[in-house]
Amino acid sequence: MSVPRPFTPGTESAVFLNALEQARVADELGFDWVWAVEHHFLEEYSHCSAPEVVLAAIAAQTRRIRVRHGAVVCVPEMNHPVRVAERAATLDILSQGRLELGTARSSTWTELGGFGADPDDTKKTWDEFVRVLPRLWGDEPVRYEGRCFSLPERNVLPKPVQKPHPPLWVTVTSPGTELDAADRGLGCLGVAAAGYAEQERRTREYHRRIQLCDPVGAVVNDRVTTLNFLYCHEDRAVAAERGLRMLSLFGLANSHLLWTREAYPTRAYQSLGNLAPAGATDAGDPGAPRGAPEGICIGDPQQITRAIERWQSIGVDGINFLVNAMETLPQTQVLESLRLFAREVMPKFQGGI
Amino acid sequence: MLVGTADLQTLAVSAPSVPAFRSDTVTLAGVEVFQACFEMRAASRERPLPSGLHPTNPATWIVLAWRCAESPWGPFSLVQLRIGCRSGVRTRGFVCAAACDAAVAARELAACWGFPTRAARIMLSRRYDGCSLAVATVDATSLAIEAQDPDPLAPDDVQYTGTLTLARTPRGLRLVQLEPRTQLERAERLRPRLERFDAAAWGHDALTPYHPVSASIGVGRIEIPPVRFVCRPDVLAFQGTESVAATG
Repeated sequence: MSVPRPFTPGTESAVFLNALEQARVADELGFDWVWAVEHHFLEEYSHCSAPEVVLAAIAAQTRRIRVRHGAVVCVPEMNHPVRVAERAATLDILSQGRLELGTARSSTWTELGGFGADPDDTKKTWDEFVRVLPRLWGDEPVRYEGRCFSLPERNVLPKPVQKPHPPLWVTVTSPGTELDAADRGLGCLGVAAAGYAEQERRTREYHRRIQLCDPVGAVVNDRVTTLNFLYCHEDRAVAAERGLRMLSLFGLANSHLLWTREAYPTRAYQSLGNLAPAGATDAGDPGAPRGAPEGICIGDPQQITRAIERWQSIGVDGINFLVNAMETLPQTQVLESLRLFAREVMPKFQGGI
Repeated sequence: MLVGTADLQTLAVSAPSVPAFRSDTVTLAGVEVFQACFEMRAASRERPLPSGLHPTNPATWIVLAWRCAESPWGPFSLVQLRIGCRSGVRTRGFVCAAACDAAVAARELAACWGFPTRAARIMLSRRYDGCSLAVATVDATSLAIEAQDPDPLAPDDVQYTGTLTLARTPRGLRLVQLEPRTQLERAERLRPRLERFDAAAWGHDALTPYHPVSASIGVGRIEIPPVRFVCRPDVLAFQGTESVAATG
């Protein structure tokens, strides 16, 4: 939900309505899921502060596609755990069991500082949230005394329709968080632009470690997904020109976020957390644009097929595509790209990757 | 995306001259490094920056002080007033003003790297329960920060962003990119409080710090390697970056 300046009347509406149309088309074409990520105050980069509302609208307009609510920021200053559980359960009902819930702790000072959250505590509160959410969904009633919140005996309502509960994921930005995911039996929602070798190493270690997990919920989600960009066009040169422009603008917007570590020294954020293939704070040429990450799904159908086959070969279970950024691509081009991908690439991966 | 709106002609008035880019690495030893970060008011976030730079969201004002025991020019203290920004995709701090308490060091810092130093008394004192920084000219104290409740950190937990100064160089008015390497032996995080800041005395009314974020203090050494890149201040880094190493 990136909204480029200038913020004229109707600009935000157009972005949201475009996203709804993309979700409807994706549903018709056979895409498996749509994500809406929670962000706050991130001018231009993301105006998606109420993803559960966006996903409720998508659920009402689609029949099959799974709605992935996340990542929800598991920081009590932003979201009370009970409210997360209530909203997610409601969304699961409205979507008739199509909800999956992603969890995260936020990477930017813009967001954490805006809510007065202590960056030192976010890993601890995230851990507490993911352990208590399955109980809030499953126990009738539930009583909880914890570190970041307590709840006297209450029945948290409604209950999700998926039993035992919707699948849980964790956003993996910093290296090592995939191990936190594995230890807790949570799906690994990779959002950092790791190359093949790095992703293979992380995926192998995740799958090895999750065999020994102590699951926080009643069911283990052992899937690994990665972040990618999608722009598919018959003409390779056109695909590169348009797709890489989108990628470049996303990278630029992403690099302009005020990362927690930049403003607030802390052991709790060892990396900046940005989604770029290379760190942006290091010394170097400020005029050099970020290169295209390895395995990027920008190209003609053959190129994209080869990239997905490679991701599949290293054990990745799914790919989350950014299909537009900063409205770089007109909506017609986004939809044409989705349709071409569905026609030429998806049939080669029936049954998932 | 937002870009700076500062008038270049005005900025150029206080820009030092850098006759030649320093080609060797300068080492500063026994340096006490104090940094304090405050959020600035959104209404003025583009005003202090040239149009080649992007402000952060929220706008950040960073005070970076070095109290240096050993340098090629003897002991000195330097205080930089920096605006957090982006040059292309890179995180940078634009030095909009600086003060130095030693004449020789001030001259070299300006001539080698474009630090817009002014003469001042600089007092950085460290106590068991905190530290304080004050900058004073003959007339009055123009900056005072108190920082309390030190919390030990690993030295690598403190991040210092790359530095941009504006200087008159052989290539014209340029943003000079410094890439100091700060190696701390110990570090602490503190809670800062802005006791006094006279923006007009520093020549920058657009600096509007109001919300404390963090402070840190550490001790270590700083290496300033040769300048590798300069940027035109009037265009974005993707168009305006020039390699110094490639062309001398």
